[in-house]
Amino acid sequence: MNNILEVKDLKVSFHTYAGEIQAVRGVTFNLKKGEALAIVGESGCGKSVTSQAIMRLIATPPGEIKSGSSILFDGKTDIVKLTDKEMESVRGSEMGMIFQDPMTSLNPTMKVGAQITEGLIKHQGLSKQAARERAIEMLRLVGMPNPEARIDQYPHQFSGGMRQRVMIAIALACNPKLLIADEPTTALDVTIQAQIIDLMRDLQEKTGASIIIITHDLGVVADIAQRVVVMYAGKVVEQGSVDDIFYNPQHPYTWGLLRSVPRLDNDEKEPLVPIEGTPPDLFAPPKGCAFAARCPYAMEICLESDPEIENVSAGHSAACWLLHPNAPKVERPVEVGGHHNG
Amino acid sequence: MLRFILRRFAYGLITLWVIVSLTFILMHNLPGDPFANSEKLTPEARAILMKTYGLDQPIWIQYGAYVKKVFSLDLGVSFYYPTRSVNEIIAGTFPTSAQLGLFAITIAVIVGLTLGIIAALNHNKSWDYFAMFTAIVGVSVPAFVIGPLLSYYVGVKLGILPPALWKGPEYWVLPTITLSFTTLATMARMMRTSMLDVINQDYIKTAKSKGLSQITIVFKHTIRNAIMPIITILGPLTVNIITGTLVVEQIFAVPGMGKHFVQSISTNDYTMIMGLTIFYSALLILAIIITDILYGIVDPRIRLSKGGK
Ligand SMILES: Nc1ncnc2c1ncn2[C@@H]1O[C@H](COP(=O)(O)OP(=O)(O)O)[C@@H](O)[C@H]1O
Ligand code: SF4
Ligand SMILES: [Mg+2]
Repeated sequence: MNNILEVKDLKVSFHTYAGEIQAVRGVTFNLKKGEALAIVGESGCGKSVTSQAIMRLIATPPGEIKSGSSILFDGKTDIVKLTDKEMESVRGSEMGMIFQDPMTSLNPTMKVGAQITEGLIKHQGLSKQAARERAIEMLRLVGMPNPEARIDQYPHQFSGGMRQRVMIAIALACNPKLLIADEPTTALDVTIQAQIIDLMRDLQEKTGASIIIITHDLGVVADIAQRVVVMYAGKVVEQGSVDDIFYNPQHPYTWGLLRSVPRLDNDEKEPLVPIEGTPPDLFAPPKGCAFAARCPYAMEICLESDPEIENVSAGHSAACWLLHPNAPKVERPVEVGGHHNG
Repeated sequence: MLRFILRRFAYGLITLWVIVSLTFILMHNLPGDPFANSEKLTPEARAILMKTYGLDQPIWIQYGAYVKKVFSLDLGVSFYYPTRSVNEIIAGTFPTSAQLGLFAITIAVIVGLTLGIIAALNHNKSWDYFAMFTAIVGVSVPAFVIGPLLSYYVGVKLGILPPALWKGPEYWVLPTITLSFTTLATMARMMRTSMLDVINQDYIKTAKSKGLSQITIVFKHTIRNAIMPIITILGPLTVNIITGTLVVEQIFAVPGMGKHFVQSISTNDYTMIMGLTIFYSALLILAIIITDILYGIVDPRIRLSKGGK
């Protein structure tokens, strides 16, 4: 078994007074051992909900992981079926998570050392002293200068970038097999962003952990990921290797995404083209393709029924009627992606 | 830390001096004087009394003398009970009020916080509704309703506990319950709000992502952060409650300080009013200093920003 994670038909809803929000509507993807997978997509498309479902961090109620969903972890456990108690021993020890805002994700009234050691003491049964030594070692590993002194400080004594390093130390303390990072650099300064991504890549090589990284930044994707999942309105619209997505994208939404961010390889000042319109209402998702209202290539069938996921090549798939053999051939916009000939 | 505390005390003394001065000025601008109500007083006797108490002196001399006395811890002689000093009256009644108040605040904190925590952890479930119903009843039913009810049913009808007076442990129960009721309800509501706020913070999600148990998360991460706003109001609340409350002390005939606050005003007892005001202010200032120190212990961010260490 070389998949650390197999997410199959994951559906998550939130029950609110206004009705049921179908935040995630059937997401399927796999993550190989030692691989880094990026999840991209506009805000609100269900990236955080997907990643939190994997760690069962969705509060229920109001959230609900629908029956039929399965999250197979490390070939044996279906996360969806674990009891709360069993889940506690998986969280933190086999999976760790880093959140978006390092300013709010550390407990302000607790020394950072204690925040690193509590997981170690719980999962590995270390003594206080041994856990402390391990915490210092972790801080050194994430590039914290003077960890022996810093370990006894409180979060407010650290900069944003340093706090995110502490978060990484917490997430990796017990040597988890899976690290989930939910927009770990969005809240940081540009120069710090690059350092954090470098650190994560470096640690992945050292520890062999698999990574799911959620990001808006296609530069980050190119830097760290091997595979990409593109999400739209609670579904996966396209997934493939980084090369597939950057150089041979198939879904009009992916085209739009690529055109709406600065090109990685191009010095010419090309205008960025934002995707017009807004995502559909998740209280009542359309019965056809969710992207139809914004898609320049939408056909009648797109409004009628939702396209199936079609394989493009090994490991590369997309859900769009344009992939149907009878669909008209569409020239995808030339300025999409990176090196066209490369 | 020691420097921080000393500095806070110095500021406290200055604040107290300002309060002493303000009280003095205000009192001397009120119409009437302590002997205005004694109709049988001849003008001569009145003049003698005014002289005895120094009231015929120019105001700034009276002020100087008063400040000097206050800071040597002498609050003067009551105008209303000429044989007793304000110090004596406070010494005679404050311990009783303080005892009752401390019992009440202890109960209020323990029960109130527990109710608030239970309510928050069972948000929108029956325990939450039960706790908040209790809290609303507690806030809206005043002591002069609960007090007599308890005194009559528990004290007189059932005869389990003495309905009034303050002579030993069994006498303490009913006044304590009555006095703690409102505060308890306030505590419960504040704690619930604060807990719900903290539960939604990102760092609670972080704690969960480490695989900590629900109990650890509640005790180590949630309560400690949720209790901050409570600490802020606890000081003034305690001072308020230990200096005696007229209503509860009247209902249960507790010989406390409460009645002197009211009586001193209706009798124009200058020294008593000023003495009680200053005593109350001094306690309040002390409570605020203690609150700051406590806050510094619980919240590391405060400790640093105030320069202590
Ligand atoms: N606790 C919640 N209650 C109700 N709706 C929620 C909750 N959490 C997320 N959602 C909804 O789920 C959808 C997906 O959210 P999210 O996964 O956070 O998006 P993103 O891709 O930006 O991370 C959004 O429409 C959001 O409103
Ligand atoms: S299915 Fe139709 S509407 Fe949806 S992305 Fe493809 S072409 Fe556009
Ligand atoms: Mg998100």
